[in-house]
Amino acid sequence: MAKPLDPALLRSVRSARSTVLATAALVVAQTAALVVAALLLARALGRLVEGSAAWSEVAGEALGVLVALAVRAALTTATEWRAHRGATRVVAEMRDATLRHVARLGPRWLEAHRAEVATLVTRGLDALEPYLVRYLPQLLQTALLTPAILVVIATQDLLSAATLAITLPLIPVFMWLIGLATERTTRRRLAAQQRLDARVLDLVAGLGTLRALGRARGTVARVRELADAERRGTMSTLRVAFLSGAALELLATLSVAVVAVGVGLRLVTGEVGLVTGLAVLVLAPEVLAPLRHVGTHFHASADGVAAVERCLDILREPVPVAGTADLGPVEEVEWDGVDVLPPGRTLPAPAGLHGRVRRGGITVLRGPSGAGKTSAALALLGLLAPDAGVVRLRVGDRRLDLRDVDLAAWHAQVAWVPQHPVLEPGTLREVALAGVDADDEALRGAAERSGFAEVVAALPLGWDTPVGGRARGLSAGQRQRLATTRALLSPARFLVLDEPTAHLDSASSAQVLRLVTEAARDGVGVLVLTHAPELVAAADEVVTVAAGAAEPLAAEVLA
Amino acid sequence: MSTRDALLADLRALRRIWPLLGVSRRRLAVAVAWGTLALSAAVGLAAVSAWLIARASQMPPVLDLTIAVVAVRALGIGRGLFRYLDRLASHDVALRGAAHLRERLYSALAHGRTDAVATLRRGEVLRRWGADVDDVGDLVVRAVVPALVALVVSLVAVGIVGALSPLAGLVLAACLLLAGLGAPLLAARAVRAAELDGAAQRGRVAAQAMTVLDGAAELRVGGRLDPLLGELADAEDALRRTRDRAARPAALAQGVTAAATGLAVVAALAIGAAQLAAGSLAPVELAVVVLTPLAAFEGVGMLAGASVHAVRAADAARRLTDLLDRARRPATGAADPAVGAPAVVAAGLAVGWPGREPLLRGLDLTLAPGRAVAVVGPNGSGKTTLLLTLAGLLPPAAGEVRIGGVPSTALADGAPSVVTMTAEDAHVFDTTILENLRVARGDVTEDEAREVLALAGLGAFLDRLPDGLDTVVGAGGACISGGERRRLLVARALLSPAPLLLLDEPDEHLDPETAERLLQDVLALREAGRGVLLVTHRGAASLAAADDVVDLGAVAAAPGVVPMLERSA
Repeated sequence: MAKPLDPALLRSVRSARSTVLATAALVVAQTAALVVAALLLARALGRLVEGSAAWSEVAGEALGVLVALAVRAALTTATEWRAHRGATRVVAEMRDATLRHVARLGPRWLEAHRAEVATLVTRGLDALEPYLVRYLPQLLQTALLTPAILVVIATQDLLSAATLAITLPLIPVFMWLIGLATERTTRRRLAAQQRLDARVLDLVAGLGTLRALGRARGTVARVRELADAERRGTMSTLRVAFLSGAALELLATLSVAVVAVGVGLRLVTGEVGLVTGLAVLVLAPEVLAPLRHVGTHFHASADGVAAVERCLDILREPVPVAGTADLGPVEEVEWDGVDVLPPGRTLPAPAGLHGRVRRGGITVLRGPSGAGKTSAALALLGLLAPDAGVVRLRVGDRRLDLRDVDLAAWHAQVAWVPQHPVLEPGTLREVALAGVDADDEALRGAAERSGFAEVVAALPLGWDTPVGGRARGLSAGQRQRLATTRALLSPARFLVLDEPTAHLDSASSAQVLRLVTEAARDGVGVLVLTHAPELVAAADEVVTVAAGAAEPLAAEVLA
Repeated sequence: MSTRDALLADLRALRRIWPLLGVSRRRLAVAVAWGTLALSAAVGLAAVSAWLIARASQMPPVLDLTIAVVAVRALGIGRGLFRYLDRLASHDVALRGAAHLRERLYSALAHGRTDAVATLRRGEVLRRWGADVDDVGDLVVRAVVPALVALVVSLVAVGIVGALSPLAGLVLAACLLLAGLGAPLLAARAVRAAELDGAAQRGRVAAQAMTVLDGAAELRVGGRLDPLLGELADAEDALRRTRDRAARPAALAQGVTAAATGLAVVAALAIGAAQLAAGSLAPVELAVVVLTPLAAFEGVGMLAGASVHAVRAADAARRLTDLLDRARRPATGAADPAVGAPAVVAAGLAVGWPGREPLLRGLDLTLAPGRAVAVVGPNGSGKTTLLLTLAGLLPPAAGEVRIGGVPSTALADGAPSVVTMTAEDAHVFDTTILENLRVARGDVTEDEAREVLALAGLGAFLDRLPDGLDTVVGAGGACISGGERRRLLVARALLSPAPLLLLDEPDEHLDPETAERLLQDVLALREAGRGVLLVTHRGAASLAAADDVVDLGAVAAAPGVVPMLERSA
């Protein structure tokens, strides 16, 4: 079951550790102030009711109550404040760690888990705030305050302490039952929410398509069904979660009532004094209050616990072992019998791929759609481990298996323009210069070569036009040309272009041809994934990618 | 804007969104009733047990205490029970409200302006759809019900104390007012400024996180991952600072409540002692007057948090109503295109996004069953915009499009029974191949699906798949190649019941032979009585079979002149 406080969280998240320690210290101080206030109040009130003292005699005690309660108020503020600060830090730390880790898990893993991770890092982790601000302090109070107050009550009236002590062990049993009953439903709910999110977002993302086909109206009912299904699912979770919480609260309130009645009846016989009775009456609810709150906040925090668990699971996901071997300047990279098995397919694509990309040369990777051209490029970039065969880098006279080398050192020598490049939020200039070191003049030069200059010229804000994420400000072809501009600015020794002419007309295609030949002339090794005949004609080496063929296809050398 | 104006604006935003939640008054009243009973039981328990203990200390006959003993036990049970019903009832109201709001939102996007969805980032949609709707929905549980309950319970407590000592009652009322109005108002005022920035920063963090997820591999290869994560850390820092600022008054408000409780208790003690000395208050009553306030602050204690939540919900409400406003379009007619001949006729047409310069002007074009029209032109010449306009999904910037004889602006939402459009970036849904085809028409059989996939050149691809038509293609079609995706889209378009099809670059991402074959297959559709308009990059040789070829490059360059290479039809 999900642990109320996972030690792994404290181990792996630094800010969680300090938050828990600080909260615990503040909770102890709060308890002390509360006990002092309760005992003084009982003494003052008891003596007044008995008629054994006048106001002037209890005024000092009344002042003491006021001071103790003021201190408690200040400590309450401090606890809440510290927990809030802690929560924002923990969320930021976990988001950062999760994103860093998933980036290293590779495109295949991310493809399969994208929706889930997206929910987790945007919304799921926010559930940590109620967990750290509401639930955790109560949990610590339960562990620290409850036994302390019980001891204080025992010094006043043993029988009342005993009554409460009998009720207390029942609470952990209920806690356990709550955990048992809600853990699975909560987990299911989070999973269901992610599935629902993915499905509804899929519908929202496809709204344009649905509208073009005249089918959008039909899906409104589907969305209503999905939303209704979630509501019903959530309500059934809550019914269970609240039921155990209510049982817990019932037990807590009822035991206070039993203590009050017990003390009352023993007052009649004179077994206990009024001051003692009042002290017990004021303190008894405080023994059980934290437990009650734990129940109240359990369902809200359960989402937080589940999100933490999921994050920690992702962080435990093993990262593909990266090599560490030093890498000098790479002269050539080759596929040697590379197979990649796409998920859910029985035949590899590519299968038995042989080919190479040399500095100063143009290699064209072609093949029917679905033959695995992009997978071959991903394998070359070290982002996808081949299921068979190896990718080799030649550095001087050495030939290195890509699996053994430090990937970052290899990536520093490659520029890659995928079919659908991602643009960081920012202005065109910021996007084009992200990760490269170049001035405006170099930027203009590169944009001329990539053909992006004419796009910029047509924009009123020019290079200062804001874009970002999946902004529709630029067409697919324009985005690719922007990414190409950036690639040209990088000092890379190799350039990988995935379908650079896919979105372009023939004039722009000619520009691609020009930039590819120029790059090769400048000593860059160019790999182009394309069908365009003019690029194939310009290639030094044409590699045909085929899926599912058992026998390797030999590279066809033209030049 | 002053903070006061901002808070008033919040109230207005909440009042505007409230009807969209469709909250039933009856359900809300029931939730408030249970909540009131639960907290009243707690106040009652404090009052009756104080009376019981004080009275018992005077050693009366046990019989005198019977009623109090029973009442204490009953209230002890009642509290837990009522609280359970309260939470269940208020969450039900909230969840129903959120579901209702989501439906309204989706429906607005499904029926509203085409460009409202297109200009949203994915991370933003996620936030509007998820967190924003949740925030507004939670308004019921976290703000509305607690506020009403606190009001009623405070009256109950003041009633109990005031009946015994009017002055102590007055002081208690003042303290409740201080905690119940002062603390939440302070918290809301201080949180107001910080929260607005916070939401923008949350959006920034979400958008950046989504960028990392979308392009992790590319960013890593390009060495841009670490800088982007650095920017994300900066955004998180800014978010953290605003949130810390927002937390400070919230924490202070908690302290104010604790302080007000202490003040009320000590004041009751002093006032009660004086009245006791004056003989106007019995000793037993003193215990009740002093101890009841201890339980009375539970209701108002929740209000600081409630007001902070209401402010947050108001921001979410504003973003949601803003989106709804953007999606709302000027009323269009609901004319039936089925009455006229199934043809699309454009005359003197100019196309462009609303509020921007037209991309194309002076275009005349006719598409009817049995005809094939090819549109060629350089990038950015407005091909996609033209298709949207011809499909009746975007109003013409000038001129007119008649679909089935009816002006497109008189149609409610295009005319899918006459003409459908397949965009270049049309969505592949995260479901099976068969279900993706059924998006075009609900009753597509497996045989029809196989036939049309073969026609689109996906026969061999289908044979390679172990699950065949039931193979799930991932989110955004990520588990199939670019070319397979294109052909799937063409197959889907072919299944559409409309006689006229608009296809945006169906031959992209295909190897030249397949592209040529597909193009000829598409053009051949006119033999089956379909009318086809397709946008392509293919050269003139490939387009020999088309009836008309429209060159948009020439249209854009020379407004008013439409070069149409007429061929024998």
